[in-house]
Amino acid sequence: MDKTTPLYARMAEAIVAGDAETAAALARQALDGRLDLQAAIEHGYIPGIRRVGELWESGEYFLPELITSAAAMKAALAVLGPALDATAAAGLSRGRIVIGTIEGDIHDIGKNLVSSMLSANGFDVVDLGADVKIDRFIDAAVETRADLICLSALLTTTMLGQRRVIERLRERGLRDRFKVLVGGAPVSRAWAAEIGADGYGENALAAVTQAAALAAARRTP
Amino acid sequence: MSPTLRILPEGMSLPAAEGAVLAEVLDRAGVALSLYCGRRGLCGKCLVEIVRGPLPALAEDERTLLARRGLPPKFRLSCRYRISADLDVRVPEFSRLPRMPVLSRGVEGSFPLEPDVRKIRMTVPKPALDSPVALLDLVRAKFPQVDLGASPDALRALVRAWEGGGPDGEITAVLFADRDLLAAEPGDTAGEVYGIAVDLGTTTLVAELVDLASGTVIDTAAALNPQVKFGSDVISRITAAFGATSRAAELRDVVIAGLNEMIGGLCERNHVPHDRVYEAVVAGNTAMNHLFLGLPVDTLAVAPYFAAFSVLPPIPVPASGLALNPAGRVVVAPNIKSFVGGDISAGLAAIDAGHHPGSFLFVDLGTNGELVLKKGARFTATSTAAGPAFEGMTLSCGMLALPGAVFKAEDRDGRTVVETIGGRPARGVCGTGLIDLIAAALRQGRLSPQGHIADPSKRIPVDGPVELTQKDIREVQLAAAAVKTGIRMLLEANGTAAADLDEIYVAGAFGNYLNVANAMALGLLPRVPAEKIRFIGNSSLAGARAMLLSAAERERCEALVGRIDHESLARGAAFQALFVEALEFKEWS
Repeated sequence: MDKTTPLYARMAEAIVAGDAETAAALARQALDGRLDLQAAIEHGYIPGIRRVGELWESGEYFLPELITSAAAMKAALAVLGPALDATAAAGLSRGRIVIGTIEGDIHDIGKNLVSSMLSANGFDVVDLGADVKIDRFIDAAVETRADLICLSALLTTTMLGQRRVIERLRERGLRDRFKVLVGGAPVSRAWAAEIGADGYGENALAAVTQAAALAAARRTP
Repeated sequence: MSPTLRILPEGMSLPAAEGAVLAEVLDRAGVALSLYCGRRGLCGKCLVEIVRGPLPALAEDERTLLARRGLPPKFRLSCRYRISADLDVRVPEFSRLPRMPVLSRGVEGSFPLEPDVRKIRMTVPKPALDSPVALLDLVRAKFPQVDLGASPDALRALVRAWEGGGPDGEITAVLFADRDLLAAEPGDTAGEVYGIAVDLGTTTLVAELVDLASGTVIDTAAALNPQVKFGSDVISRITAAFGATSRAAELRDVVIAGLNEMIGGLCERNHVPHDRVYEAVVAGNTAMNHLFLGLPVDTLAVAPYFAAFSVLPPIPVPASGLALNPAGRVVVAPNIKSFVGGDISAGLAAIDAGHHPGSFLFVDLGTNGELVLKKGARFTATSTAAGPAFEGMTLSCGMLALPGAVFKAEDRDGRTVVETIGGRPARGVCGTGLIDLIAAALRQGRLSPQGHIADPSKRIPVDGPVELTQKDIREVQLAAAAVKTGIRMLLEANGTAAADLDEIYVAGAFGNYLNVANAMALGLLPRVPAEKIRFIGNSSLAGARAMLLSAAERERCEALVGRIDHESLARGAAFQALFVEALEFKEWS
């Protein structure tokens, strides 16, 4: 066991504890010690966020814990991110995601949580906010060369906008360019299938798994 | 020297101007008279006994009124009597304006009985041969200063009534808001005047049959809202109606059918003909009253979630679909803004919010978690979309407050002992029971303030097969956090703290069973001295009844809604942080 192991364990712990200060401090330590930053993220912090996912599944962790853990991850990545060279950063990035709450809907806590968890889990996230117009999702995805469009809706009324985005993608000849993931309280697997979405995220953690699967599928030609 | 008026049995004396109308002087002295016909000398409800003082000759109609009431000749109509000299007057109980209590308990307060619908018996003799004045004008002449309106249907009824009114042309005119002649009936039917107060709840419909002559509630009926088959909450019903005209019509039809079934039952059981019921006041939240009126709910379905109307003029009964006298009127309690609707404006009427001298928080602990804060002269409202957890929905063992529901739980000799409605074996848990159980589990260390069940089984046993799961706890955390965040944001937006509130009125699903200490332990309500908490039960129904029994209450309610600001919680930048923090079960103040 090399001497980084205790450090990696403490990095994971900081994430699980939702301790942003320690997470950032340990990141600076890795930086100053000229350690392999990519490894620090993969073996230190990411196991932490994965453990958080397990604790959520088991019911031990709830929204506040997810949020503080995601914040801790964000703090660590804020220190390490700039130090990674472009290739390493690209290698670490699991994909770029455009996310937002559908037009007519101003609920965003759930979407914010998904956004944080996606960032924490290595995705490059462009968060458009709430009440986002149908075409804006598509325009932003095109501009940023995103891999995935994630659509959140909290009301059964605004959910219809998710179908509209997919129709619009087809109308604009862009359906094959992006994977579409839908979520939100009234959304279901059946609805996702009905509207032709590529995936359905039941909660923030499931969204991460789905996003990872969809992004990986894209990279395989 | 101005004449002195002595009022009995009070014994008070006061000077009165010569030529002043007795009824006005009595009113100024604080003696509330029943001025039913608006001081036109028609109804006979302001008769007083002249004990000592001038006794002018009886007018013809006064003589008739005294004869009909079997009163001795010393009585005079105080609305006609002009003071000319010293006078001793006895105001009998039957001439005093009854004051109706608003709520059966929780808040003192009353208002005078002055319904919009009034029936006034009168005699309309044939016009003179040389001056064939029109029938409506003969009636109008009895109501000077008012341009009495009458529809063709009302005129038709007037003619028929007069024809059937015998040689003296005795008819009973049915008036609304001192403005419209709704109908007329032959003979004297003044004592048969009824109305219906309705709480148009998302889950439960409640209707009261009210005697508008005496102000008493004759009977009450309650039923499940038939719309539940389209969804248990407001949003699912809005979705069903959204952009689907036929479904919206169905939603409307079923609720009207449900209400008419209740009205039919009330009338039959109490031998009141439908055509003696002239008014209904319907209080429901915004989505409910839109669906009832057959209005599109599209504007409520997407941000900024605005209503089609706030104050609506009374509508003719046929337009409402309700089975009342077709000449009558239906009043819909006004909406405040967005989802904060008529049930809340009625609730505020029930606590006489407009006259409250200080500051209060009004909380409706139901699905929509509406809140209204009064601070100084400012009113702010919001809805927190708490979700149906407090009504027992979305929980594994949740149920409405029906027999078999655990509604109470206490610690006794180290164990948690539960009580069920009706004493039946426990089938599930309702709102108040949830709060008690969670408070108990927190005290016993079985549940962490973060909502985590300590036991590896991840369950909290309640009674028999009934138990709370981890997911149930999370649902309650979300619902309670929504309400708590709403309260905190309202307080902050008004620069005030919970400690500064004079009262917290709690309305809604919980009736009076809510254990306040437990609710505070969970953080659902801020920690304030227990005596500041007032349970007002079904304040929506109480407010509807108040508006039915008093035109002034209806007008006050309508005036108040325009003064109420709306705070949209989701727009507040602080919302997410506050909401997440509020998920913890913790007292706060």
